[in-house]
Amino acid sequence: MRAWSTSVVRRAVAAVVQLSLAVAALAGTQGSTLPNAAGSLKFAVIGDNGTGSREQYDVAEQMVRFHKQFPFDLVLMMGDNFYGSQRPADLEKKFGVPYKPLLDAGVKFQASLGNHDQIHTVNYAPIGMGGQRYYTFVRGPARFFVLDTNALDQTQLTWLDNALQGAKEAWKIAYFHHPLYGNGGRHGGDVQLRVRLEPYFLKYGVQIVFSGHDHVYERLTPQNGILYFVVGSSGQLRKGNLGQSNSTAAGFDRDQAFLACEIVADKLHFQAISRTGATVDSGEYQRPARSGN
Amino acid sequence: MSSAEAGSLDRPSRRMPRIWRFATEYLLLLPIGAAIALAWANVEPESYFRTTLAIEFWVNEVAMVLFFGLIMKEVAEATVPGGVLHPWRRALLPLVASVGLTLVPLVAFSLVVPLFDEPRVVEGWPVVFATDLAVGYVFARLIFGRHAIIPFFLLLAICTNALGVIALAMAAPATDMHLLVFSVLMAAALAVVLILRQSRVSTFWPYVLAGGTLSWCALHFGGFEAALALIPIIPFLPHAQRDPGFFVDASPDAQDALSRFELWARHPAQAALFLFGFVNAGFQLSALFWGTMSLPIAIFVAKPIGLMIGTGVAQAARLHLPRTVGWRELIVLGFIATIGFTVALFFATAAVAPGPTLSEIKMGALVSIGGGLLAVLAAALLRTGRFGRQHPGRESAAE
Repeated sequence: MRAWSTSVVRRAVAAVVQLSLAVAALAGTQGSTLPNAAGSLKFAVIGDNGTGSREQYDVAEQMVRFHKQFPFDLVLMMGDNFYGSQRPADLEKKFGVPYKPLLDAGVKFQASLGNHDQIHTVNYAPIGMGGQRYYTFVRGPARFFVLDTNALDQTQLTWLDNALQGAKEAWKIAYFHHPLYGNGGRHGGDVQLRVRLEPYFLKYGVQIVFSGHDHVYERLTPQNGILYFVVGSSGQLRKGNLGQSNSTAAGFDRDQAFLACEIVADKLHFQAISRTGATVDSGEYQRPARSGN
Repeated sequence: MSSAEAGSLDRPSRRMPRIWRFATEYLLLLPIGAAIALAWANVEPESYFRTTLAIEFWVNEVAMVLFFGLIMKEVAEATVPGGVLHPWRRALLPLVASVGLTLVPLVAFSLVVPLFDEPRVVEGWPVVFATDLAVGYVFARLIFGRHAIIPFFLLLAICTNALGVIALAMAAPATDMHLLVFSVLMAAALAVVLILRQSRVSTFWPYVLAGGTLSWCALHFGGFEAALALIPIIPFLPHAQRDPGFFVDASPDAQDALSRFELWARHPAQAALFLFGFVNAGFQLSALFWGTMSLPIAIFVAKPIGLMIGTGVAQAARLHLPRTVGWRELIVLGFIATIGFTVALFFATAAVAPGPTLSEIKMGALVSIGGGLLAVLAAALLRTGRFGRQHPGRESAAE
């Protein structure tokens, strides 16, 4: 009798918790802070997502829900797109299945390589790398520069120099796996990469840099005029691992998350959304006057 | 006596201090540079990486030319009477054994890397070929004293590193290689030193300045490792009739070009080694992940096994080991051969571009010095070398 009543209580508590989460999720997504302007560039950012776990699928479902009210057509992937085994069936399980509704809706994914990604995944068409470790593409007013920071060879740096030099778009956005700045307790900013890459970003006026690797969400205060985000918790999570410093603008390390962005004229609007749909960070960033050539 | 060690048997009281001076120079300089680098990179990373970025080309591509030139000088001298490579047939068994010593760890490395889910670490595969001649030599002497296994170790190390250089060329992206440029410039370099040799030019300067510069340009603009520029040049320098012994300093009154080169380059090369440790061994410990473990595990497990297999194959082909070298000595030697250290750092830097993956491989290269401790432990457990009942050091090195 006592065991039966305990079981009932547990189920009731679980039901209440699930209901609360659902309500919170709805409340979060309904509280979108993005302008959702017609003709604007709308995109999402995910990182360290390729676990194939329940949590990755939950974030993917949240992205699908968010997409219904904020129809982004591009997803930037910060690397670690696939963990562990990376045979064709694994790629489906860790990418094709969870993001199928978005792929079916015509959303395009553009990935960078993380330290867990096998090099052959650059040929997996749905993640949009076209067989390249590093590449560039244009969407609306923005040119994106996708780098392979696992191995930053001189050939890649020369390519970046030329690509940045030739970029005429108003917005220049770079993304790659390893953060140049960050307060993640496990890794933090990679200074060796920073001293090699930052001079190019400053020289050519890159305004936004996204990365992953640390399994948290973090927005930093602009560093030398560049806004840095770490989005490394769209599948993985290192709970409670985010430290605080003068460079911390906002962060979230209690649950998985993804980031949604919108560029309207000279402003980038952003909103970070947790696995349960709660908005965990939002704001806007004015493009500096000197950038954009 | 025909081995390089024979000289040291003649005058042990004079040779041993030289060996220890050598050990002090080579064992301390690079670790001191590495220790400063590791501390600085983790306390003030911004200033460390800015400093090293400014000088890394001059250290890795230019200054290290002298270090590898001196290593090549030892190898070149080893081919003359009294040297470990004379006659060349002596190198056959170590050559065959070195194939096992490199291929088995290579297979192990490729199997171990996926276990740690950091697939890009595999790009550092040439590092498994590395054997630090200098540090390994000191450990071999510590364990075995003056034993016939010492020249065997030196031959093994030369062969594995030579295979490593070939591996580096194979690992370089084909798109970065310019074979025509390389061929033309290297042919010019070799022609210059050949003419100098035939003209009986006895000073080393024209060889190093003209031939060395052309060779450096051939490697650099051809997409290869320019630090190896003196390797094809050194064999052309006029040298002494007999090898004074491996890592034995040239006499200050020596007149041959090779010895004069050593006397001139010794201290600059030591400075280069220190700077090499300083520039390359610094990385943020926060950049390390599980992939770091791949290299040490692969080499610590597979090199002793690979050496046993390679030697077994060589013996099956009717090549003979020195009589005093048995399976116990081979196991210990296998552990000594895991010490990649300087050469491993060089191979890592040459094979993998800067970034977190390289940091992990470098850490593995530094950890490889632990192979020396494993070798001492193995020797104690197997009761061989200084730990044996009959100290083999008393046996002739001419076996």
